[in-house]
Amino acid sequence: MTQVASYPAAAALNASKIYGKDDSEVRALDDVTVDFQLGHFTAIMGPSGSGKSTLMHCLAGLDSLTSGRVLIGDTDLAQLDDKQLTTLRREKVGFIFQAYNLIPTLTALENITLPMDLGGVKPEQEWLDTVIDAMNLRNRLSHRPSELSGGQQQRVAVARALASRPQIIFADEPTGNLDSKTGAEILTFMKHAVTHLHQTIVMVTHDPLAAAYADRVVFLADGRVVDELSQPTSAQVLDRMKRLGN
Amino acid sequence: MVSPVVRLTARGVVARKFRILLTTLAVVSGVAFVSGAFVLTDSVKSAIDNLFEELRGDIDLEVRTTIAFGDEARGERDPVPLSLLPEISKIEGVRLVEANLRRSATIIKADGEPLKVSGPAFGIAWDGPEGLDGRTLIAGTAPKGTKDVAIDKSSAKRAGYEIGDIVTIVGPTGKDQFTLVGLTGSGNTNGGGGASISAFNPDTANDFLGAQDQADSLLIGVLPGFSLSEVQASVEEMLPESIEVITGVQAAKEISGSINDVIDIFGKVLLGFAAISLFVSAFLIFNTFAIIVSQRLRELALMRAVGASTQQIRAMIIGEGLIIGIIATGLGILGGLGVAQGITALFNAAGAAFPTAGLTLSLRTILVSVFIGIGVTVTAAIVPAIRASRIPPVAAMRPELGFSALQRSKRLVVGLTTLLVGIALFSIGLFLQPGGTIITLASSAIGAVLLFLGVASLSTTIAAPASRLISRILPMPFRPMTRSVPGRLASRNAQRTPRRTASTASALMVGLALVSTVSVVAASVKKSFTEQLQSSVTADFFITNLSFQGLPVAFAERLDALDELGSVSPFRATRALVNGEEKQIGAVKPEMGDIVDVGVIEGSIESLAEGKLLLHKDPARDLGLGIGDSLDITWQNGTTATLIIGGIYTEAVLAGNWLIGLETLSQASKAPPVDFFIGAKIADGVSIEDARAAVEKVAEDFPSAEVQDQSEFQKSQEDQLNQLLAIVYGLLIFAILIAVLGIANTMALSVYERTREFGLLRAVGMSKRHLKRSVRWEAIIVSVFGATLGVVVGIPLGVSVAMALPDSFVTTTQIPVNTIVAILLASIVVGIVAAIFPARRTAKLDVLAAIATQ
Repeated sequence: MTQVASYPAAAALNASKIYGKDDSEVRALDDVTVDFQLGHFTAIMGPSGSGKSTLMHCLAGLDSLTSGRVLIGDTDLAQLDDKQLTTLRREKVGFIFQAYNLIPTLTALENITLPMDLGGVKPEQEWLDTVIDAMNLRNRLSHRPSELSGGQQQRVAVARALASRPQIIFADEPTGNLDSKTGAEILTFMKHAVTHLHQTIVMVTHDPLAAAYADRVVFLADGRVVDELSQPTSAQVLDRMKRLGN
Repeated sequence: MVSPVVRLTARGVVARKFRILLTTLAVVSGVAFVSGAFVLTDSVKSAIDNLFEELRGDIDLEVRTTIAFGDEARGERDPVPLSLLPEISKIEGVRLVEANLRRSATIIKADGEPLKVSGPAFGIAWDGPEGLDGRTLIAGTAPKGTKDVAIDKSSAKRAGYEIGDIVTIVGPTGKDQFTLVGLTGSGNTNGGGGASISAFNPDTANDFLGAQDQADSLLIGVLPGFSLSEVQASVEEMLPESIEVITGVQAAKEISGSINDVIDIFGKVLLGFAAISLFVSAFLIFNTFAIIVSQRLRELALMRAVGASTQQIRAMIIGEGLIIGIIATGLGILGGLGVAQGITALFNAAGAAFPTAGLTLSLRTILVSVFIGIGVTVTAAIVPAIRASRIPPVAAMRPELGFSALQRSKRLVVGLTTLLVGIALFSIGLFLQPGGTIITLASSAIGAVLLFLGVASLSTTIAAPASRLISRILPMPFRPMTRSVPGRLASRNAQRTPRRTASTASALMVGLALVSTVSVVAASVKKSFTEQLQSSVTADFFITNLSFQGLPVAFAERLDALDELGSVSPFRATRALVNGEEKQIGAVKPEMGDIVDVGVIEGSIESLAEGKLLLHKDPARDLGLGIGDSLDITWQNGTTATLIIGGIYTEAVLAGNWLIGLETLSQASKAPPVDFFIGAKIADGVSIEDARAAVEKVAEDFPSAEVQDQSEFQKSQEDQLNQLLAIVYGLLIFAILIAVLGIANTMALSVYERTREFGLLRAVGMSKRHLKRSVRWEAIIVSVFGATLGVVVGIPLGVSVAMALPDSFVTTTQIPVNTIVAILLASIVVGIVAAIFPARRTAKLDVLAAIATQ
């Protein structure tokens, strides 16, 4: 990748998110500052309740902060209304969820092009073909989700996230519902998307094996960024996680 | 390229076709009702137009007396003197003039009994098949001799006569014997549509039918080659004042128009019930969409997450409503043709002779059906669509963040405001009655709709505690429901989605509220009527007429001559213009005072014999009239009279608001009088059996007469009311069926939603039977809740309507406890019926597959 980033793909600045009030107050995010570089595959890890999902929801414009700022590219999400947020999600952000990724009434291809169809944009055919072939979905395009295996469904979800060439893709436990072999396959596809197709992916996971596919791991605990690893191995990740648990 | 919203919408409908099916059915039945009402009235009206054009086709002109006001076709006209006939026939261009004369005449059958007919028994003047009134000669000859008669073929057959037989006929002047010379038909039929028609030579008719050289009207045929309007003008020239000549076409139009007015009222009543069905359907549609939206929570959130805008989500859900609306409307219009045919068949089977000549589907019918069918569906989908568009995208990952429900307090305020505005509008319409019938009706109807919506909204708040209460007390004689696991589950399930429970119950609430309202009003009318009858009617016998044609006056005269009877009075009626308004005026003998106690509070009933007017206290108060005051009246034939008030009375149940004496009536109208009914009292010392035998003996000569004693009379009046009520209830059943459909639908959708939960229950050892029972109990809780709401809303509505009705109609308000209890009990059955399909579905679940369901 030759492009030099003048700014990160996404960033959180002094981000705080507080649920409830007074005695029942829960600080899901507590003054988090973190950024995600273009062309990187980042994993966010942390024990249950560490705030990792909340961080991702806020980064993706699905949820709003109590204080602090979130930037996608150079756009401050707090400045956007619902309409602009919708457009941002459609054009700049891609999503991969744990399950319920696809619209059951649409075919695989229709699911892949859905964000662009919704925006009334014609998909770039060449890129679409690249993505479809990269995800090995050529023979499955006319199938409905119910006719696809769990791994195939998730590959369609990855393809959909890639299809609109978003600035950044957020993945929420993308392998959580899959067996380890299929999970590894999906992660390989995602890694491929970053290294060969120059995409940016931020993935929330609690699986050290999954995190090992990332270029960088950010550890969260009690709503704070507590640690970071570059080019991690699963053993290193497991070790850090154990320490966080204590 | 198809837009993704359109594609998603269409796929959404297809994917949920079975869940949507019941909804579609509800819209289909509503639209079918609407289009059926239009198709029916249009078809009957065009058939009637054709019928009269055909029947009166040969009549070019008709000479008749004028009326001063009122409906031309139904007006009571003075007769036309026959002396005009020879003069008119001399006018150039006139081919034929004949006297149109129609009087009661009963055929005595070969076995000596009078021929019973479902229609009127007429004698007419007719002397040839080339006549103008559409009568045809099927066999034999026309009655040329003075002792000849021709009878319609079907009556002759039923009476057992053949050509050449001697026939006894009872006419207004008495009994006589004639030779049957011909059999006639009307148009291309064999009879007169349930009537018996005896045709006499005009001279015989004049004597035997007591026409006294007068006719009802004169019919004129014009020679070919002469201008109708020129002949009409020449006839016009020679006619005295107050006699007019009109074209046959106009006369036919007047008659069919007047019948069509009645058909229109019938059609409007049907439309009213169609509106109720549609209103109930709207709840069902709303409910289905609300449930489907909540079941698609994650899918909709996912769409939002990948970039669908709120407008796109809204368009998608409303689009689904639109598709359902279009399909259902199409089916509904087709169904309307079936409904029209069904209603026609139903009413014909009950004895009404609806003419049918093919079904008329006008553009108006299609447009109105499309507008209503699609409008209702789309409107009902709007709120669920808005809720769907408010689903936050984050719900794709965290479904528990799905819906931000309307705040309780906000809902209470909205519900209460709607309810109060509804009550206000309803009361204004009912009690203040501003600006005439239309505004009164509109205001009451809109008020009622708002009232129902308000109650539906508020019922969400009480759905949970009410369900708990119902599940505790319902099976009280046995084991409380909450003691068993299925019962407890049912109760909890009904409580956990109060919004759904409430809106499902609301559909039933509307239907049953209307049933309760009607039953309260009906019970009150019945009670008031019975009370007034019992307190004011002292007659021992009433003689009424089966065919609504009235009784010949000779009947009352012969009864009066009987020694077994004391006072006898006929009741006649005419119309008059009083203070610019058309009123029905009753005409009786002063003896009526012994038969009906009208409650004279001032003056006396004997003053009727002096040509004075008696009136009810209400118009007396409204017009500021007292004893001795005078009132100017215009009779229908145009003559005016100044009547002195001779008495004021309080009981209007049989007498109406205005009474005059028979002498006054004979000055008011020269039309041959008929008696609507006759009241008689037994003479002192005569047993009721003897008196009845004597009355029945006279009645033998008047086959359409029915003799009733007081309790029989009362019962026949109540039967009429009950028949009307049966029709009203029958039409309301449509709305209730749709509500039952709604409960079944909600239960089916809930069961679908809880597949995994049911799988779990089965896995931990719950039997199929228990699972079914639990679904059934839940349906019963919902329907009992709906029925209770309906009764609670319906009773006060009924009481208000009963109170708003005029005193002459309702004096006592009564709540029919039996009916109300029956409604509540029936709602349990409704629940059981609605649960049949969903319960069966639950029992069929495959345990493992159910648990694997997400």
